[in-house]
Amino acid sequence: MSTTPSPVPSTREAVIIGGNRIPFSRAGKKYVRTSNQDMFTAALEGLVARFGLQGERLGEVAGGAVLKHSKNFNLIRESVLGSSLAPTTPAYDVQQACATGLEAAIAVTNKIKLGQIESAIAGGTDTVSDAPIVVSDRLRAALLDANHAKTTGGKLKALAAIRPKDLAPVSPSTGEPRTHLSMGEHQAITTAKWGITREDQDEVAYNSHQNLARAWESGFFDDLVTPYKGLTRDDNMRPDTSLEKLAKLKPVFGAKLGEQATMTAGNSTPLTDGASAVLFSSRAWAEERDLPILAKFVDAETAAVDFVHGHEGLLMAPAAAVPRLLARNDLRLEDIDFFEIHEAFASTVLTTLAAWEDEEYCRTELGLDGALGKIDRSKLNVNGSSLAAGHPFAATGGRIIATAAKLVAAKAAETGQPARALISVCAAGGLGAVAIVESV
Amino acid sequence: MADNYTRFVNGGLGKKLSKQLGLPRPAILRRYVPDAPLTVGPVLVVSDDASAADADALAKALMTWDVDVRRTPEDAGDARWGGVVLVGTAAETPEAVSEAVLALGGTLRRLAGNGRVVVVSRAAEAGDSPTLAATRAGFEGFTRSVGKELRDGATANGVQLTGGAAVDSASALGTLRFFLSAKSAYVDGQVLPVGPSEAPSDVDWERPLAGKVAVVTGAARGIGAAIARTLARDGAKVVVVDVPAAGESLAAVANEVKGTAVQLDVTAADAGTKILEAARHLGGLDILVHNAGILRDKLLANMKPAQWDAVIAVNLASQLRINEQLLAAGVEGLRIVSLASTSGIAGGKGQTNYAYSKSGVIGHTAATAPLVAELGGTANAVAPGFIETEMTRSIPFGTREVGRRVLPSLQQGGLPLDVAEAIAFLSSPAADGVNGQVLRVCGQSMLGK
Amino acid sequence: MAFNATGAPASYGVTELAQLPKLGGLFVRGVAGSVGKRPKGAVRLPETAYQVVGVETTGEAAHLAAYQRLLGEPASEVLPAGFLHVLAFPLATAVMVRGDFPLPLLGLVHLRNVARVLRPVRLGETLEVRAWAQDARTHRRGVQVDLVAEVLVGGELAYQGVSTYLAKGFTAPDGGAAAPEAPDAAPAAEAPREEWTAPLPTARWQLGGGTGRAYGAVSGDQNPIHTSSLGAKAFGFPRAIAHGMYTAARALAEVGPARRGDTYEWTVEFFKPVLLPGTVDVAIRYARDAAPTDGPEPVPATLTSENGAAAGQGFVYDGWRSGKNTRHFQGTITPL
Repeated sequence: MSTTPSPVPSTREAVIIGGNRIPFSRAGKKYVRTSNQDMFTAALEGLVARFGLQGERLGEVAGGAVLKHSKNFNLIRESVLGSSLAPTTPAYDVQQACATGLEAAIAVTNKIKLGQIESAIAGGTDTVSDAPIVVSDRLRAALLDANHAKTTGGKLKALAAIRPKDLAPVSPSTGEPRTHLSMGEHQAITTAKWGITREDQDEVAYNSHQNLARAWESGFFDDLVTPYKGLTRDDNMRPDTSLEKLAKLKPVFGAKLGEQATMTAGNSTPLTDGASAVLFSSRAWAEERDLPILAKFVDAETAAVDFVHGHEGLLMAPAAAVPRLLARNDLRLEDIDFFEIHEAFASTVLTTLAAWEDEEYCRTELGLDGALGKIDRSKLNVNGSSLAAGHPFAATGGRIIATAAKLVAAKAAETGQPARALISVCAAGGLGAVAIVESV
Repeated sequence: MADNYTRFVNGGLGKKLSKQLGLPRPAILRRYVPDAPLTVGPVLVVSDDASAADADALAKALMTWDVDVRRTPEDAGDARWGGVVLVGTAAETPEAVSEAVLALGGTLRRLAGNGRVVVVSRAAEAGDSPTLAATRAGFEGFTRSVGKELRDGATANGVQLTGGAAVDSASALGTLRFFLSAKSAYVDGQVLPVGPSEAPSDVDWERPLAGKVAVVTGAARGIGAAIARTLARDGAKVVVVDVPAAGESLAAVANEVKGTAVQLDVTAADAGTKILEAARHLGGLDILVHNAGILRDKLLANMKPAQWDAVIAVNLASQLRINEQLLAAGVEGLRIVSLASTSGIAGGKGQTNYAYSKSGVIGHTAATAPLVAELGGTANAVAPGFIETEMTRSIPFGTREVGRRVLPSLQQGGLPLDVAEAIAFLSSPAADGVNGQVLRVCGQSMLGK
Repeated sequence: MAFNATGAPASYGVTELAQLPKLGGLFVRGVAGSVGKRPKGAVRLPETAYQVVGVETTGEAAHLAAYQRLLGEPASEVLPAGFLHVLAFPLATAVMVRGDFPLPLLGLVHLRNVARVLRPVRLGETLEVRAWAQDARTHRRGVQVDLVAEVLVGGELAYQGVSTYLAKGFTAPDGGAAAPEAPDAAPAAEAPREEWTAPLPTARWQLGGGTGRAYGAVSGDQNPIHTSSLGAKAFGFPRAIAHGMYTAARALAEVGPARRGDTYEWTVEFFKPVLLPGTVDVAIRYARDAAPTDGPEPVPATLTSENGAAAGQGFVYDGWRSGKNTRHFQGTITPL
């Protein structure tokens, strides 16, 4: 542990009071026909109940969903209106793919640090089970033409262009718009490039389940999760899985790469439904209300990589963001007590770590003098991550922030020394967001 | 609010039918509504000659509550009595109370539905002469028996002063008021010992718990949720506690009462510390209601260790551990109210584990009382009888109807609210003279010793 | 190929047409005319260039929008090279359906295409379009010939496209001897599989059964081998095959105006055809990332220019059958 202080800019601190989420559920299970708004409202209600925020006018609530119906243009505001918060609490939607939740947190904490607001909730929600269905481009074009047509004849003519096959709905996909490769296929390419083994991936997955299960058993999530719709724990969690069982699964991504496919349903995150919310404030706001302060939201960095032409892996942006964030805060990997690296896939974590350990890569791609370094694996996702908990895209940031804040608070209380967590979330579009959370 | 049967027999056809068939006709009980009159009609205060001064003092207090107080039965005219207070605090011989009790008897036919009889007496204490002890103790059986005569939702309860408590002390008055009020709708045939009180007498009766921080365990539903609502109604900031698995409804309760939800298993080793921590953020713990409880009914012959142990752990051991932690932390002025049960008094078939735990609660309440009293607090228990909850709805019909109609004088089950009202009363500053007691909320069911 | 010179070889005559011909009619003539065009002696190309002046593009807005939407080009008033190819294609086809053009339109195999945009062409500009055939030369399996199309704006050469076709069984004017071609270019259509290993893909194209009809609609090239399964079977393909230029134009669109710039070179070489429906794995990479150290073989010399992809600028792209080592195409997109 380092005693190097983070350089505190000439702004105020933004602190994390606590978080709440609903248990995450695999797509098509408990939260079928539950909307994003339902789930985010539930996450908000649990947070309001945890901290007695009924009727409170917060500075703002920011969050979003990745799979969002156009009718949910004001998803977060509508959720606030359905919550016990004061209806005078403003809100807005954020969308940065899987980094939505973390980006929302960055946005609201910056406002807190600037003194524009005193308190805020950031979070996100996603449902695959209640995802918007899109009509085909041809049907859409015909309907729009008909709508724009001035005469009945014109309308009929436009509608006459519709063919039966145009009526088939188009389900949203996790495919990248420019490459049409699914995220899993993209990561399979990155995995192959870095030569990450099946065994290493399975071990990350195994640890995720073990760590998450242990955290649940120990009551770690008792004040981070509120049950919803009869679900009391993340139902993707498999405490009874083993390396042997994981090793038996067939690869699902990368089968067409001509390399040995290594990514299975076991070491990839399943599609999941869920929502999360985190309460932030200025120190003064928390103290006035005698609310607990878990940690500070110190600083954050976002990055993007040039993945479209294969120069970089789709999910490698955090590899670039972290060195920049550490440098700005005068920190090294050794100064971090907890690494919360979102497990989009087990190999995402491993390729990120491999990149940091690779001197050549760090020099040429990250502009560093040498390798960023090797992390102590015992500090990695100590209470599990997305492989076990699941990954409702926009909800993952909130899950991780609350977990990290609680981890550093406990560690600091135990050791009497400041503790830090590094949060890293990769996202579609070659995006990544990372942040530092530190005990108070 | 009332069950279907009670609604039926109070309706036109049902009323006629049940009368002809001689079926029980449970009354629709009057329950507390803010700003409603304390009683349904004028209140008569009668006493033996020796207790006249105490009766005067009580009558005076009643008048400050905007009650229409009369001192002689003739004063009533055609009105039905909303309540009759029999004061026998200074009676010295059994013979001396005769006139007063007969006067009370003369009013009973004119007692209104949901009327109240409250007997104010002194407890027999060590050093009393046999005659005095007999005089005082007599009121206990008398009160219970009156309760059984009353109909139409009327109740009879007793304020039994102990330790030289003044008849117009805050606690004596607070208890009297509770018994007169609609808040004691399902409390019947109870004689509650009330000791000296240091509580200020200027009580805000509409929000007696204003500024207090209360923690209610097992608050996600049923009686616990009703307790949270009632304490919040009375002005307390409420922390609701329940197991993490009940978190969704717990959060709903918290948000409804504008309180705070804490997902916590009360059997956790550090539950007391967690409760203190949660209350500290709101200004410090004032009231703790041990409501969390479970049933694992099984004949003892078939009882599995897990069934026994779980009930003991949740219903009893958790309360002991939490109380120890709170006492160790030196929480001052703490009001502890624990949920016992009439099963803990009378026992229940297939409920050896439950009865042990609830009987144990009564035991530890008596033992805890002097310990918390040292820090200005109290520890009491409330023993509900048949309460209409989701839990009792699962009881088989026959058993349920016996529990509802046959056993209690009030011929019906109580509501979670009725239990909550008793707890709110015991949590209130005015009840500081009540310590180590078990208050039954059972509609005077004939269970028990 | 003489890129820096503009216009047909000096010996060619110029035939001016009043307007760009309609592809449909040409195609009928081409099909009919193909019957009589059989290998007999050395091929002699007509030494005539067709030319149309005053080609107005104002009316092309809807056509351009349809093209852009289909290929994934951003909506813009600048005509992509692929669109210019489509625009000039009827004139080149007119050359090929002439009676004195010795090769049958049906059965010509598109081997490669090299195009350059030397000046952006905008919607609304008036164009001069010309096309001719040149340079008939030996291919291992017959004769290959270049169809050159040029677009000028205000007399300035804006676009030049060279489409190389193979006519199997025909003989080049220089006799049967193999031309000094780069070995990997000439026999491209039948390159042995073992010699090539697919790189890691950067994209995956799911091409539906209607892909040929869709591109046929915007390009005018309604050749039945692209638009119908039956038509394709008639020519020996198991199913309809994608237009080669569709795949190349998609790659061009994928790189996009922001990266290819106003002026650029766009090349493609075709290998095995893409059967429809089908999934094509594509690697569209920076030329510098696709350097020989990266595994795949270097870009063929015929497809590079002195300041282009070989110098590590721009992009190279490869397409192959998803999950197989069956190569469909390779090309470059290089800013000029």
